[in-house]
Amino acid sequence: MSVTDYDVVIIGAGVAGLTAGALLAERGFKVALVTRGEPTACLSTGGIDVCSRYDNPLLGIKDLPPEHPFHFVSEKTIRESLDHFQTAMREMDLPYAGAVEKNRFILSALGTLKTSCLVPSTMEAAPQDNNDNIHIITFKGLKDFYPGYIISRRKKTGFSVYDAGVYSTMSIASHFEEKEFFEKFITWLTKLDIQEDKVAFPAVLGLESASEIVHTISVLIGKPVFEIPTIPPSMPGRRLFNALKGYFRKKGGTIYWSWTVTGIEKSGKIIEAVTTPSEGRPNSINAKAFILSTGSFVGGGLTATREAIMENVFDLPVHVPGPRDTWFENDYFSLNHGIGKAGIIVDSSLRPADTRWENIFTCGSILSHTEILKNGCGHGLALATAHVAVKSCMEYIR
Amino acid sequence: MNFEHCIRCTICVENCPVFRVNPEFPGPKQAGPDAQRFRSDRERAEDKWVLLCSQCKRCEMACPCGVEPAQIILMAQQRYGREHPRSLAHLMFANNYYLSTLGSFTAPIANMIAATEMGKKAFRAMGISTHTPFPKFRFRKLRNEKKNLNRRRKKVAFFYGCFINFYRPDIGRKIIRLLTSLNVDVVLPPQWCCGLPALGNGNLKLARFFAEKNAASLSNYIDAGYDVIYTCTSCGLCILHDYPGILKIPQGKKIAENSYDVHEYIIKLINEGYAKPDFGEVRRKIAYHIPCHLRALEIGYPAAKLMSLIPGMEYEIFDDTCCGLSGSYGFKKSNEATASQLGNRSISLIRKTGAETIIADCGSCRMQLGGLSGLTTLDPAEILCESLGITGKK
Repeated sequence: MSVTDYDVVIIGAGVAGLTAGALLAERGFKVALVTRGEPTACLSTGGIDVCSRYDNPLLGIKDLPPEHPFHFVSEKTIRESLDHFQTAMREMDLPYAGAVEKNRFILSALGTLKTSCLVPSTMEAAPQDNNDNIHIITFKGLKDFYPGYIISRRKKTGFSVYDAGVYSTMSIASHFEEKEFFEKFITWLTKLDIQEDKVAFPAVLGLESASEIVHTISVLIGKPVFEIPTIPPSMPGRRLFNALKGYFRKKGGTIYWSWTVTGIEKSGKIIEAVTTPSEGRPNSINAKAFILSTGSFVGGGLTATREAIMENVFDLPVHVPGPRDTWFENDYFSLNHGIGKAGIIVDSSLRPADTRWENIFTCGSILSHTEILKNGCGHGLALATAHVAVKSCMEYIR
Repeated sequence: MNFEHCIRCTICVENCPVFRVNPEFPGPKQAGPDAQRFRSDRERAEDKWVLLCSQCKRCEMACPCGVEPAQIILMAQQRYGREHPRSLAHLMFANNYYLSTLGSFTAPIANMIAATEMGKKAFRAMGISTHTPFPKFRFRKLRNEKKNLNRRRKKVAFFYGCFINFYRPDIGRKIIRLLTSLNVDVVLPPQWCCGLPALGNGNLKLARFFAEKNAASLSNYIDAGYDVIYTCTSCGLCILHDYPGILKIPQGKKIAENSYDVHEYIIKLINEGYAKPDFGEVRRKIAYHIPCHLRALEIGYPAAKLMSLIPGMEYEIFDDTCCGLSGSYGFKKSNEATASQLGNRSISLIRKTGAETIIADCGSCRMQLGGLSGLTTLDPAEILCESLGITGKK
């Protein structure tokens, strides 16, 4: 008997990996997840974008180029994946609002309306048009959030500044979970006698109990309250990561941190184990199948050099979008950079194409042709493709 | 040094327990890779705030780019320690091994003095916090245990560490009995403080002195066919990470390759089919607090794996919270507020689960969490012993 043999090893702790892991664990499989560090999901606004180009994400997906990996996912699976996510997040006290037929807006820190499909309940009350008058509460010395940007776009916006005694999103968020601080803050807030329709905060209202804090403030002042995502460190991104991680563990999954895969053990067309150097001797974890969800460039799944683009774990063949001078457009903020198409080409079961390995499946932003920035499909694609990868993986194991 | 790989994503900042509660500390990104670009050998170190880093290494675990902010800060701490006079508290904790040796020879008197108001006042005057009660010295140290040399196959040299030796030799004895019950021959090699307290208090020279002595001793045992096992996750991290790394111990690599956390070793025995422990039921609802340095060992959570084999055990893993004590860190008056805020936060999360017992591999985590919460704290090895019917008595 070996206690460290698994049915499936997931590589990468982002939205795709943790979701795939939880799905397998829920079905009784022995799952381990290995990761080098924490995922880019921590840097995100916490919103689940499915396809932000259209008012209705489902119609938007139909309009995506034929190579886009969303076309490997049926509408039924997309719906299931979002339902599953919402149920899981409710269980972890981080409820998400929204439905797949219609995108919603969250107010950005620049005062624009950003499209997303499912949003954390702390952002649910964000204005859906330019009519609501809002009052912003910000914090003295908080460098990551300037209400002036929002006021320049929404002229009737009011704002007040609270001195929390600390000056970073992280430390203010942790203060909000202390009873004494919270009570003092509420006393100050109620004295303001805010006239506007809604009250907005930068996303610093707690880490573990944000939904509850937003709800409590809203009840106490009798007005809708919502959060505005900030630049990283992003509390909503971290809450999402913590909730997904907690859910995976709750279902019986095991996580190995700081576990960079640097080698494999193989036999014929099968990968038998992945190994990491660790401080002395290499450690290895065996599994029947592997799910690769290491993300793209920032996440650490892909590396680009002057000449080529490599996949970092299994050295899988990567789709390279033309010669290097076509990878980037001149406009830095363009959404059409060719590099957005780079990634792993897969068949409809999300198994990498042109490789001899039979027991690898991929999901999330490491897939090719995603163009996540342009299509606004980050976390939504991760959830949906995780479901497909898990289905193929289960069929393979059986 | 790989500070140039930092992409300024701030994931490390989100993971820094000190940054969360102490606005004086600029966080691992600024104190590590950012400040590193401005550190010059030709200028005196003026970054006193690097001393506020507790060396929990959470930033290194979180970094998606392989930067090691804690290591960069550790170097800066050593440099600051060299160029500035050290406080009395730093000097004392660096030499904790000698003080503890003295303390355990004179256990009843030492404990009594530490507990009196006068004693506490004296500690506070030296910059030592009396917020967390000091661990009590025990008369009979583990070093005095009789060696048990049976002709059995697997042989291990047990690096028990100062905490077990001076304060909780009973746990050390349980671990020996646990391993013996799995047909493993345990010896206690000559050993000294691992060196981490000296390193953490800015005394690289003393750390290297301890490390060299330990390395010579452990290396002999490895050559004679022994595996080294450790139970204190911070000793383990120092031996595995700092001996071959910052301390540049020649035998460092060999020792790292042959050293195991005690639970990691038991799993190895099970996987190899060498031991087949028959775990009995343990009806307990526990919170498993993961010490920061266990995370940093990059071996997963082996004790959690073993506890999952015990019928009746209900446990929840907490690896997002640092207890705040970080060895001698929280005992310094300047860090007292940080330590107690972090400790209380960990406890409030643990309390939400309704757990009656806190498990932690690290003695100082147990001291902090038990002291602040009043809940029972146990070493995971004690749970295994309970499950296998091994008692502390012979």
